[in-house]
Amino acid sequence: MSGESSLMYFSANGGELSQEDSFVSWKRPGQPDDRPIARGAQCNASQAYPPPPKKQPRPAHDADVVYCYDGSFAGFLCCIFESFNRHEMPFSIWPPEQVQPTLYESRYIDSDQTKAKRVYKSYCNLMGSTGRRFLNTVFLSGSPDKDLLLLRFMRLAFSEGQRTLGMASHPDVAAVYALDTAIGYEIDHLFGFVRFQDADGMLGSIIHPKCHALPLLRGHFCTRYPDEQFLIYDATHSEVLLYQNHKAQIFTLDAPLTLPAPDKTEQYYQDLWKQFYHTLSIEARRNEALRRSHCAKRFWADMPELKDQL
Amino acid sequence: MQQSLMDKLTILADSAKYDVACTSSGAARGGAAGSIGSCYAPGCCHTFTADGRCVSLLKVLMSNYCSYDCSYCVNRRSNDLPRATFTARELAELTIQFYRRNYIEGLFLSSAVLGTADYTTERMIACLRILREEYHFRGYIHAKAIPGTDPMLIQELGLLADRLSVNVELPSEKSLHLLAPDKGKRAIFRPMGQIATATQTSKQELTVYKNAPKFAPAGQSTQMIVGASPESDWHILQLTEGLYQKYHLRRVFYSAYIPVAEDSRLPALDTKPPLLREHRLYQADWLLRFYHFSAKEILSQENPNFNPYLDPKCNWALYHYDQFPVDVNTAPYETLLRVPGIGPTCARRIQSARRTASLGLDELRRMGVVLKRAQYFIVCRGFAGATGGRGSQGRETITRALLDPKVFNADCEQLSLFSAPAVQQLAQNGMNPRLAGNLVREEAVQCLAKAL
Repeated sequence: MSGESSLMYFSANGGELSQEDSFVSWKRPGQPDDRPIARGAQCNASQAYPPPPKKQPRPAHDADVVYCYDGSFAGFLCCIFESFNRHEMPFSIWPPEQVQPTLYESRYIDSDQTKAKRVYKSYCNLMGSTGRRFLNTVFLSGSPDKDLLLLRFMRLAFSEGQRTLGMASHPDVAAVYALDTAIGYEIDHLFGFVRFQDADGMLGSIIHPKCHALPLLRGHFCTRYPDEQFLIYDATHSEVLLYQNHKAQIFTLDAPLTLPAPDKTEQYYQDLWKQFYHTLSIEARRNEALRRSHCAKRFWADMPELKDQL
Repeated sequence: MQQSLMDKLTILADSAKYDVACTSSGAARGGAAGSIGSCYAPGCCHTFTADGRCVSLLKVLMSNYCSYDCSYCVNRRSNDLPRATFTARELAELTIQFYRRNYIEGLFLSSAVLGTADYTTERMIACLRILREEYHFRGYIHAKAIPGTDPMLIQELGLLADRLSVNVELPSEKSLHLLAPDKGKRAIFRPMGQIATATQTSKQELTVYKNAPKFAPAGQSTQMIVGASPESDWHILQLTEGLYQKYHLRRVFYSAYIPVAEDSRLPALDTKPPLLREHRLYQADWLLRFYHFSAKEILSQENPNFNPYLDPKCNWALYHYDQFPVDVNTAPYETLLRVPGIGPTCARRIQSARRTASLGLDELRRMGVVLKRAQYFIVCRGFAGATGGRGSQGRETITRALLDPKVFNADCEQLSLFSAPAVQQLAQNGMNPRLAGNLVREEAVQCLAKAL
């Protein structure tokens, strides 16, 4: 019994050296923070991020240069390649819609499938399926600095390996996690707030999301309506998800798309829905602020029951 | 006179709106060719009403003709209001049309007692059968089991629905006897026990046979009315804990009583719904389910009601200040959960992040710890814990950081829904609500700081 407890003292998982244990040796005593602390609490003192045990790649220097690319995923991966190739950290990375006049040198990075594949393959080998899904999701973010944040994250990932995903407290990782959380919330909202209207058996819907939501909505709606035909139009990015004959495709449109005016049956069901919605609310508990915090006003224009209350 | 679908929907949704449960979580089911619908395990809210409550399911009654006479209920026999009944087919058709347009996640089907409990349940089953077998609907269905229904029918209902619920209605047998003479404690707990057993059995069968029928895969829930009867919060919380342990309920819902009838046994018609109390009950309910608290840690016989000025977790921390500070770099998960300002998500992030680095204040802030409250209860790398000052001043600073701001009407000229009773009383006597809020806050700080 006593032998077991002494094992437990050194390692929580019964004697086997865990990842946690291997880092104990990195925590160097005698750092400035190691002074005795008040109120009798034991405090772990060490550097915030101890140097990893393996050889570090050559650090990147801050370069006064802006990378411009075509906005595609392959183009973005080529920016990563460029950054590693020149050992530099660009001032910013701009997809076409963000390009603006600047005093910095701007360099256009061509999309090259070979380079992109090389980067993606080595990233996936290093980070596994969780890391791959994470990168694919965060790239869809609508935030203007997502490219630079992702570059910082990937530089860290290439030097630290899979444990990067667990380093939620690191500034570079925390920033990317914040983007991921924001996307997750928006997609969760859109699962509920997308509204279809029926026109001759085809269901149509318009949304105004902040992120490129369609790839993340595709799976949910295709399994939900396997035998229907539907389209979801992302008006912010002029993209459309079309599901027809059990096949889903995403296109970019040149001209904005409008849905036909609802016919009699469609209007009837919209009226029923609005009536149901207004009946459900309890006047004695009216709380507008709470409603706005759960369902932000930016969604209201696309929802028939809330459109007239804007 | 023939009622249109619009009239029926209005009447039957209006009668169902006091049912609180409108969740669509707990069942995961993908789509299939030749059918419609799927279930999204975390649940999905499709819209929010003006009172900020989520609308996830098409929440209606099958019928609001009731043969019972429960005094707290709008649909009681003696109440004069328009009545309607859906036919099974029109309700199924309506559900599918709403579902196709992504208005709803599924159907929440309840009913008043139309004649007998058995007959009502049979009608509900008929509707669910059309949905599941004719339309091949794979979306979410929540059905109410009516106390007094034959066990065979409940078994049938459970195989069609994803979640079943039996309402406890009132927190004690005495109140039930007084306010709902047609319902008894035994009649309520019998189906609850049956559902709990059947769900367990179904789970066991599923481990052996992949295609065994699923009985209520999303479990069962219940709801009770708060404020219509004199039970204390301690009593309600104990009952809740018992329900979770004994019947493996997924959720217990509380509904602040909104006066619907003039009755000497009930609060007067101009009473406001006890929303703050309901809110505190939900907070305590979360402590039971996600924070490893037990009911007797939150309240006790001597201290049977919630503190209106503090949420239950802060209240616990204030009275157990001797157990702090904890070191976030070494404390186990359960201890982290006790720190005000750290919730389950944060605690999990801390657990995983401290494997690679020792955490300081900056790291904690980045991971979403609310340092306004947490700083007085933790130590971490380079931080020995804040004290807020010496002596009484320090105690008051800590108390101030823990107080729940919304009960004091902060920066608001109007009384908010969640104002503490003392603030409401002062405002009723003609004091400016903002001034009343400030006055009560100062008094609460002085009083609570002594506990530290």
